[in-house]
Amino acid sequence: MSARAGGAQGSGSAPKAAAGARPGGLNGPGAFGEEPTVAGMGLRCHGLTVVYDEGGRAIPALADVGFSVAPGASVALLGATGAGKSTLLQALRGLIEPEAGAVELDGLAATDEGFADRRRQIGLVFQRPELQLFAGSAREDVAFGPRRLGWPADDVAAAVEAALELVGLPPAEFGERHPYALSGGEQRRLALAGVLAMRPRLLLLDEPFVSLDPAARRTLATVLRRLVEGGTTLLLATHDVDAAWGLCDERLVLDEGRLAAAGPWAFGDGGEQALAGHGLEPPFLVELWRRLGRPAGAAPRTYAAAAEALR
Amino acid sequence: MSAPLVDIEGLRFAYPGAASPALDGLDLQVAEGEAVALVGPNGSGKSTLARLMAGLAVPDGARRAIACGHDLLDARGRLDARRDVGILFQDPENQLVAEDVEADVAFGLENLGWPPERMKPRVEEMLAAFGLEGLRERAPHLLSGGQKQRTALAGVLAIPRRVLVLDEPTAMLDPGGRDEVLAAVRRVRAEGLATLYVTQEMGEVGLADRVVALERGAAVFDGRPRELFADLALVGRLQLGLPPAAEVALALEGRRRAGPGAPGAEGASPPGDAAGTGTPGDEAAPSRETGAALPLTLDELVALLAGSDT
Amino acid sequence: MRATITQYVPGHSPLHRLDPRIKVVAVTTLAVALFVRDGYAALAVFGATALAAVLLSGVPARWFWRGLKPLLWLVGLTFVVQVLFAPGEAFFTLGPIHLTWEGLERATFLSVRLIILVVTGALLTLTTPPVALTDALAWLTRPLRRLRVPTEELALMVTIALRFIPTLLMELDTIMRAQRARGAEFARGGLVTRARALVPVLIPLFVVSFRRADDLALAMEARCYRPGLTRTRLHPLAAGAGDWLALALVAAVVAVAMVV
Repeated sequence: MSARAGGAQGSGSAPKAAAGARPGGLNGPGAFGEEPTVAGMGLRCHGLTVVYDEGGRAIPALADVGFSVAPGASVALLGATGAGKSTLLQALRGLIEPEAGAVELDGLAATDEGFADRRRQIGLVFQRPELQLFAGSAREDVAFGPRRLGWPADDVAAAVEAALELVGLPPAEFGERHPYALSGGEQRRLALAGVLAMRPRLLLLDEPFVSLDPAARRTLATVLRRLVEGGTTLLLATHDVDAAWGLCDERLVLDEGRLAAAGPWAFGDGGEQALAGHGLEPPFLVELWRRLGRPAGAAPRTYAAAAEALR
Repeated sequence: MSAPLVDIEGLRFAYPGAASPALDGLDLQVAEGEAVALVGPNGSGKSTLARLMAGLAVPDGARRAIACGHDLLDARGRLDARRDVGILFQDPENQLVAEDVEADVAFGLENLGWPPERMKPRVEEMLAAFGLEGLRERAPHLLSGGQKQRTALAGVLAIPRRVLVLDEPTAMLDPGGRDEVLAAVRRVRAEGLATLYVTQEMGEVGLADRVVALERGAAVFDGRPRELFADLALVGRLQLGLPPAAEVALALEGRRRAGPGAPGAEGASPPGDAAGTGTPGDEAAPSRETGAALPLTLDELVALLAGSDT
Repeated sequence: MRATITQYVPGHSPLHRLDPRIKVVAVTTLAVALFVRDGYAALAVFGATALAAVLLSGVPARWFWRGLKPLLWLVGLTFVVQVLFAPGEAFFTLGPIHLTWEGLERATFLSVRLIILVVTGALLTLTTPPVALTDALAWLTRPLRRLRVPTEELALMVTIALRFIPTLLMELDTIMRAQRARGAEFARGGLVTRARALVPVLIPLFVVSFRRADDLALAMEARCYRPGLTRTRLHPLAAGAGDWLALALVAAVVAVAMVV
């Protein structure tokens, strides 16, 4: 079964332009140096099947998953725990060998030249930052990835500083702090910085909002929004539908390894019975619109927009 | 009017080597059967208080610190408190000790030296109460997050308790698991057990009779949830979120809360709101009366909107 | 279920249902007797007993084979050493290698004895869940408590360690993938390079484990655990008539082996 192409509304093929300085103290993508924008990566997969061997029994984790993500799109990967979100992200990054199916990056197949490079331009932030942080200082930890890429020391240093700034952990204050001395939200952002320092063109996030307090959640959301505006393609795996609603234009719904839905949000087309059937609830604002008798498909994405529409 | 189950006044506690105390003159009372929510920013002392109440840490001092009739300032009192005060922690994985669900539920009773004839029916009762009968021989690492927390809760409550403390028990769970645990907690409350529920999820606060807000180790609010959300300045200062219904209502009124990271300021709305509800730094003075009418649930918001459409 | 980690194969055979303490004592006794008593007759007795037990256990043969495989090198080594270096009349000579009939005989005897030993031991681990084994050992070593050896606490430690092995393995897997996603490589380079590559894996594993130990200790204390307690058990070990019968049978086997 193949899902219909999940392109962003409109062309979505050109990277979105940076929109200048941001309020609130976080530098925009321009902090990365000369490139104010990132050329987001396009991705396509088909027939992706992953099977785990659990003591002799074959457990299907992904079954025939196929979809595409346009460059610069922001896509939510929804599903309950165990639906296969983590497996899918890891398979896309090449950390898991699929039983069947293939992944194409920027239109390149695995056998094409340049595929391996593209793969290294995919950043994957795992769910538990404590499983990734290991160095003696924040700077050292963030530098790990760029160093593995073989960058010269100056570039590594610049990337580290820029990445720390970008996630809201100013190097002056946090650079020498020990990763384990940071709070949960700070560790989450440090792990993200470690990945961002490698300048990914496609960013995969596995449940980044879990066990974050409201303030930390807001900060992280701001960072991600900034990245998307800068052109990075984003695939965000989460069971927090409200967060996904605010950040992403499209969604993929996974249910026990199968792709149940793909493409732009389809509230109002009855498309969200899909959510309920897969252990997810619609976003608050969609529910509100439905209760008010307004077309759910036109539900706003932010509280401000909701207020506007209700006046 | 019976004496409070938990009676704490002036509680002090500092972690060794910490710059400032975790608890600095904290007062708290919990009555029989009461459902109290405990909120506050990171580092405000919520978890520390939870552990002290359960007799798991040694207070630096207090004018009074009684939990279920046991003196927490006394070593023996703390040991006794551990029996009467149950506590469920945040991480489902790091509470399960035994090789399967049934053995884990029995763990506490084994520690208390209950004879097997007394243990067996009690364990059965707990497995049934929390929907775990089908999982009784399942190994812990094969359980879902919600199942693990239910197992841990069953194990905590297998020992008959008088107060149950829950330290952000749903923070690491997906919505399904969260529902499972909340349903279990509601059942427990319905049976009359006093609960202290530490949370960052403002949606869970509304379930409580009373909410206590901590700031830097002391209680700065103790009253009804509605009153807390009405005090927008406090909510902002403590970096508490607001239930989505309240956020929408606030946005409608064009009102902003004070404080960094507050709704209305940068990044306030659900993620994705690039524009925000206005220019940050533009903080209208919050009004207490308007706040008092803030809807907390979807139903209340719908009613409010219906009411205002004349 | 990763049966291979603990080697326990669930079942309902008479062997499975025996009290684990009886099994530990029986296996230990048989193992000692096996090595104390020389002679083909005795060997045959022990071999027959082991075979009977294997059939009685209902555990498929392949599990015994899996238990034996890692030790085949030892059996082979024993065989070769005996064959080459035993005294006696050589029937075949090739340079420094003297093969004697006595050597061949001795080698076969010792190898068979080793195999019987391994199979007997496997009978214990294949039919007894690890926790039951721990309980049995805790009970059997209880007299050591008088010497201040914390047998109960050690038994609990083993149980907890076993409980977390699958969790640790999953975390190890995740850590390695997370670091690979940052460009780490674990299969490249010489010994030193590979060892160094493990640092970003071992540190998070250790940190997570220490934090886990803290959390777990707190959770255990919250459920009234204290070291030095006398804990009761939900399913206490209780030896029944069948267990004593089994023990008597083992004693009989040993007695027979001693006199044949």
